Amino acid sequence: MKNGARDWYKDAVFYEVHVKAFRDANGDGTGDFAGLTESLDYIQELGVDCLWILPMYPSPLRDDGYDISDFYGIHPSYGTVEDFQKFLDAAHARDLRVITDLVMNHTSDQHPWFQASRSSPASPYADYYVWSASDRRFADARIIFVDTEKSNWTLDPLRREYYWHRFFSHQPDLNYDSPAVRREMLDVMRFWLDRGLDGFRCDAVPYLVEREGTSCENLPETHAILKEFRAVIDQEYGGDRILLAEANQWPEDVRPYFGDGDEFHMSFHFPLMPRLYLGLRLEDTRPITDIFTHTPPIPPACQWGLFLRNHDELTLEMVTNEERAFMYYAYAHDPGMKLNLGIRRRLAPLLDGDRRRVELLNSLLLTLPGSPIIYYGDEIGMGDNVYLGDRHGVRTPMQWSRDRNAGFSSVEPGQLYLPVIADPVYGYEAVNVAAQARQPSSLLNTMRRLLAARRTSSVFGRGSIEFLRPRNSKVLAYLRRHGRQTLLIVANLSAAPQPVELDLAAFAGATPIEMLGATAFPTIRTAPYFLSLGPHGFYWFRLEQPGDGDEPFGIERSPI
Amino acid sequence: MSAVAAGPELPPDVDRQLDGLPPTELAVSVLTYNNAATVPAVMSAVRGGLEKHFTGTPAVLINADAGSADATVDRLAESGLPFVRARHEAPAAQLGAVPFHGVPGRGAALRLAVAVARRLGVRALLVLEADVTSVTGEWLERLLRPVLEHGADLVMPVHARHRYDGTITNLVLAPLVGALFGRRLHQPLSGPRALSARLVERLTAAPRWPASGRSMVDLWIAGSTAADGLSVHEARLGRWHVESSTRTADLPTMVAQTLGAVFAVMEEYEDLWMATANWLPVPAEGPALLPADEPAQIDVERMVGAFTRGLRDLGTIWEHVLAPDTLGDVLSLEADDLERFRFPDDLWARVVYDFALGHHWSVVYRDHLLRSLVPLYLGRTAAYVLATRQRDAAAAESALAAVADAFEREKPYLVDRWR
Repeated sequence: MKNGARDWYKDAVFYEVHVKAFRDANGDGTGDFAGLTESLDYIQELGVDCLWILPMYPSPLRDDGYDISDFYGIHPSYGTVEDFQKFLDAAHARDLRVITDLVMNHTSDQHPWFQASRSSPASPYADYYVWSASDRRFADARIIFVDTEKSNWTLDPLRREYYWHRFFSHQPDLNYDSPAVRREMLDVMRFWLDRGLDGFRCDAVPYLVEREGTSCENLPETHAILKEFRAVIDQEYGGDRILLAEANQWPEDVRPYFGDGDEFHMSFHFPLMPRLYLGLRLEDTRPITDIFTHTPPIPPACQWGLFLRNHDELTLEMVTNEERAFMYYAYAHDPGMKLNLGIRRRLAPLLDGDRRRVELLNSLLLTLPGSPIIYYGDEIGMGDNVYLGDRHGVRTPMQWSRDRNAGFSSVEPGQLYLPVIADPVYGYEAVNVAAQARQPSSLLNTMRRLLAARRTSSVFGRGSIEFLRPRNSKVLAYLRRHGRQTLLIVANLSAAPQPVELDLAAFAGATPIEMLGATAFPTIRTAPYFLSLGPHGFYWFRLEQPGDGDEPFGIERSPI
Repeated sequence: MSAVAAGPELPPDVDRQLDGLPPTELAVSVLTYNNAATVPAVMSAVRGGLEKHFTGTPAVLINADAGSADATVDRLAESGLPFVRARHEAPAAQLGAVPFHGVPGRGAALRLAVAVARRLGVRALLVLEADVTSVTGEWLERLLRPVLEHGADLVMPVHARHRYDGTITNLVLAPLVGALFGRRLHQPLSGPRALSARLVERLTAAPRWPASGRSMVDLWIAGSTAADGLSVHEARLGRWHVESSTRTADLPTMVAQTLGAVFAVMEEYEDLWMATANWLPVPAEGPALLPADEPAQIDVERMVGAFTRGLRDLGTIWEHVLAPDTLGDVLSLEADDLERFRFPDDLWARVVYDFALGHHWSVVYRDHLLRSLVPLYLGRTAAYVLATRQRDAAAAESALAAVADAFEREKPYLVDRWR
């Protein structure tokens, strides 16, 4: 690996991809690992560092794979464990790391453990799940899927007891009070890590343990178990395999998941994401700057995971009711676009296909503190189809070309796992990889350039952040610092050109070098530094002090 | 002072200064921009050189200044020589970020100097850089004598340099310019030079001077001189030492500016190079130079690392610039193993020619194109260092000559694809 550091994840850009959605190599209408392996050149050329694979395990697919029925296998539609191994080896050969989803909290009700557990209270698996004669226990725990579930308990007709489930009723929660369950799940992790996997994105981690009189979320007992897992993985695998937490909570509640650097390596920063959209729509920096004032420091070895969109709805759990109402007004004018407490749309259609806004949000994603996560297809501005139900509309086939089925598969269109996007604006004939690869100014090539520029400095992944406070509140400006390097990021959230004066007196004498074009801007003086920005324009500057620069090659003294 | 227009006529205030001057034979031109700290050393060398080597020969000092905010012009006026001064036009962008040669609007400055020299009817015009403090009186003698006594029309400098100084020049500019114009010049973009009255006359009459702001003028003069069949010489000078706080010191910027200048000349003046297929020797004056050869700390590994990062990050640009075969060959270079890393000369020539063609056809935004060459240049430079660091100076020179051979050999590749 080019970046062989133990904390490689701090510099990495992640690419979230669904195996079924990327490329169908065997011609059955569903993407597979062989197809993903064929597509690795594309992913490498995009310039990301790590793939995050959505659930790939055998599953009845009642929750798109988050209902796992066998932790040790690959869903037959996606291939075999051998196919996975080939894919993993091929990714590593390209200096790409891979993490996969692992659903720790629950299994499918089709999992043999659950089937054995429900068969008899005397089964060796009887306590693998949380059973109760009453559905009144843990009454303070909220119901998460309010649209579909009425209780966290469901009566099992065979065992004639209630089983606990925080999500769908077909997803019984594992009982982490059972030492056997903890051993089983560690063995599951070992199975994949032994194959070379670089880590796990751990799904729904706040809910592992239940205690009476609590919300059954974020309990100390849950943290103790997670720390135990981390310690074992660190000890057995050398410390460069990562755990990424999915904890859709406020930053201060997520903070304990980092522990003292001994629990999760990374966690998603859920509340930042909707505020990027809010700030953009309001043309006001405050929603963005405010959330950082509420973001606690994290241990040095830890990292936030940042994202604009993912495979779920754009969750609005972490905003106020007022903000949620505005987000619905601004980004979900059609009621069909709403799902649970969120909006089921992709990045480009959320932004009305406005290229400048798409680039601006991506610029923020790549320059704010954390490791960015790009959702497959957003790099070319793919659209969605809200009429497909649930979150299927943002999980449609990757649009490779204007060929049949967008170049994704050779089957009859009716055999595809989901139809390709075919509308006139975002359809595969207008939006596809092949066309954008040929066009130097395409969104795809712009993303490649942004990612390439990000790779030139470790400050993006490792630096502190300090917001400047220009009088023009439509212009977001912040400094990122790490070691001797300082970056200045300036972004116009407005659809109109904006001027801004920045107090950069502390950097008097330095020259801002615009990083995308490597252009030197006028030297900073003690007077306010004036910049003008086009609509939704942005700058990434490296502040170069006289005598600064990268380590010399030794040929700079007189190269002409 | 007033700004000098780009037309052939001199501005009135310059005209007035010429009226009172005695007849003169030599003109020494110093082009300036905020060089108060260094012009005294330059003028000391000028006075010393004139007194020692051109005793009794009347000379005039011509200064074209881009708008210095310091005492540059005052310092020059104290030289004691008859003095013509003018302010030349300079693009605002170059005043903010001074180009590699140190003189914003160098084209306009040179045009002004040439026009004044012609009006004065001098036998030779010497151009010096205001921030090169290694200049000595001997430089004047070696640059001017070929013009005055040996029939040279243009005398270009050759400096004594460490083998790993001037890598942009040695590995890119010199072989490229040599192949284009049919004269192997060691330092085609170095500032000191001497021009004959005949060349001054032709340049003054030239209908199409390069637009100011793209740093083309030096190359255009060299190309025009060669294309017109005039005599080009080189003068072996000493060490070249610049003391400048304004010239860009950013390596990618220097690559982009210098190569951008060559590509711009290629674009604007096809007639100067398209048909050139004969390579004539360039007579050199002055004692042979011993290059500085002290051990140098060259971080070859980082250079190759920059090259491999370029392979990863700039592939999308290179796909548009490089011919498929060329790109394939570049991708095949064994950058993972320093000991085996080579960058063949013919491949390098094709790379540079593909970039020239990409610039010509504007296949991508030109500044991005030029900057995307930097990792390739670093790779080629690393290969040169690897090939020569254990060898003597003659072997290093021989390696550079092989690069020049390759550029000349591959020139038909460029010409065939240009139109």
